[in-house]
Amino acid sequence: MSSPRAMPRLELAGVKKRFGARQVLDGVDLAVMPGESLVIIGGSGTGKSVTLKCILGLIPIDAGAIRVDGGDVVGLKGAALDAHRARFGMLFQGGALFDSLPVWRNVSFALGGSAADRKAAAIDNLARVGLGAEVADLRPSELSGGMQKRVALARAIAARPPIIFFDEPTAGLDPITAAVINRLIRELVSDLKITALTITHDMASVRHVADRVAMLHGGRIIWQGPLAALDGCDNPYVRQFITGSPDGPIQPLGVKR
Amino acid sequence: MTALVAIGSAVIAALAAIGRLARFAGTALLRLVQPPWYPAQIAQQMWLIGWLSLPVVGLTALFTGSALAQQIFIGGSRFNAASTVPAVTVIGVVRELGPVLGGLMVAGRVASAMAAELGTMRVTEQIDALVTLRTDPFRWLVAPRILAAVLVMPALVLVSNALGVAGGWLLATQRLGFNSAQYLATTARYLEADDVISSLVKAAVFGFIIAVMGCYHGYHSGGGAAGVGRATTNAVVSSFILILLANLIITVIVFGS
Repeated sequence: MSSPRAMPRLELAGVKKRFGARQVLDGVDLAVMPGESLVIIGGSGTGKSVTLKCILGLIPIDAGAIRVDGGDVVGLKGAALDAHRARFGMLFQGGALFDSLPVWRNVSFALGGSAADRKAAAIDNLARVGLGAEVADLRPSELSGGMQKRVALARAIAARPPIIFFDEPTAGLDPITAAVINRLIRELVSDLKITALTITHDMASVRHVADRVAMLHGGRIIWQGPLAALDGCDNPYVRQFITGSPDGPIQPLGVKR
Repeated sequence: MTALVAIGSAVIAALAAIGRLARFAGTALLRLVQPPWYPAQIAQQMWLIGWLSLPVVGLTALFTGSALAQQIFIGGSRFNAASTVPAVTVIGVVRELGPVLGGLMVAGRVASAMAAELGTMRVTEQIDALVTLRTDPFRWLVAPRILAAVLVMPALVLVSNALGVAGGWLLATQRLGFNSAQYLATTARYLEADDVISSLVKAAVFGFIIAVMGCYHGYHSGGGAAGVGRATTNAVVSSFILILLANLIITVIVFGS
């Protein structure tokens, strides 16, 4: 019998999801321990974002189990589903900031209290991601891509959820801004003691953010291990992915040989 | 046999689409009667739908009322019935042209805007972000738009009716030689409560159609910019057709006997 200490914060067992004729997830098994930062790598279209959305209940799964702190969360509805989602923050790939709201209302969207309290909390969270109070009243469209990512990061942590998902956190950013975002994520994970699940195909991001790495390919986790073991890994899929070689067992979607 | 299969498939697809639309509208209506509500969202939508549509609805009614008076005068003169201009104009405007043209103009302006806004929110993951922030998109996005459209359309159509009648009066008194006081007295004598009530009922129904079609097509938008474009076109075209169909049904029910 496992002790409470050994219980994963997040666990997927045999998760399957099909879209039409395409089996995107074909038995994903994965566990993330409390306070751990796990990064899932994999090519475009391998189901990384789908995995996150299945966990959040945005996409129903076809088979398998998803457990958070030991409790099954598949099929939750109403208040139970809201309570499940309250345990997560999410940084979306494009930021997904609400265009019609100023920055401070985006950041404090899930917070309660008076407008003054929520604005103060938003400014605190903006400071945590390196942004000044002067951006609080701007619209998202007035910010650069990097600043939008920071605002989205501030929104993801604002309610202090115990688990945060980062969906391609550096996509579309220049290398310097990407490095700043990676460092911020690492600091937030350490400072706030959150459990983090990041999906990316940016290897620089993997090396900055990960405690442990898992590779998703063909709808399954084909390799997982600590970051230190990544470079010494002899799995040909992982080797091809981390070296970025066009030659190997992975065939990009739509490319015929 | 192939033709039968094609017809059967088309009928099944159409019924499925009607079912999806009915479920969408039903869910939105259910959210309207269950808290929490978002009064600020409702007020903003009333301003966007009502106040900003006033110029286009008002000018349409003014020009159409004038043109209608001119045509009735020409037609009536052929059998010595030119004096019917005020009576037929007010009946035509209040029963048909005010609500129908007002509805079509608002559909062109508002249904397209709703579909484009929600469609963009869908493809940029803003709707997913709402869900992860524990906000029901039906409560936050759809229900306020439907309620606002149903509330402001009757007010818009009242203005449309008044300006349509005013357009007829202006042309009749300035170009056709009608006495102003007599024109207005005849107008008031022939205007019945049923005309106004049916006009307001039509307006509310058209408002419901516009908001539901705009939100439905935007909410289910996909496929990037092209998908949003398709959603916008479908929202406008389906609104137009349903407004004209609903107008026919209400007219037959109220005035058919």
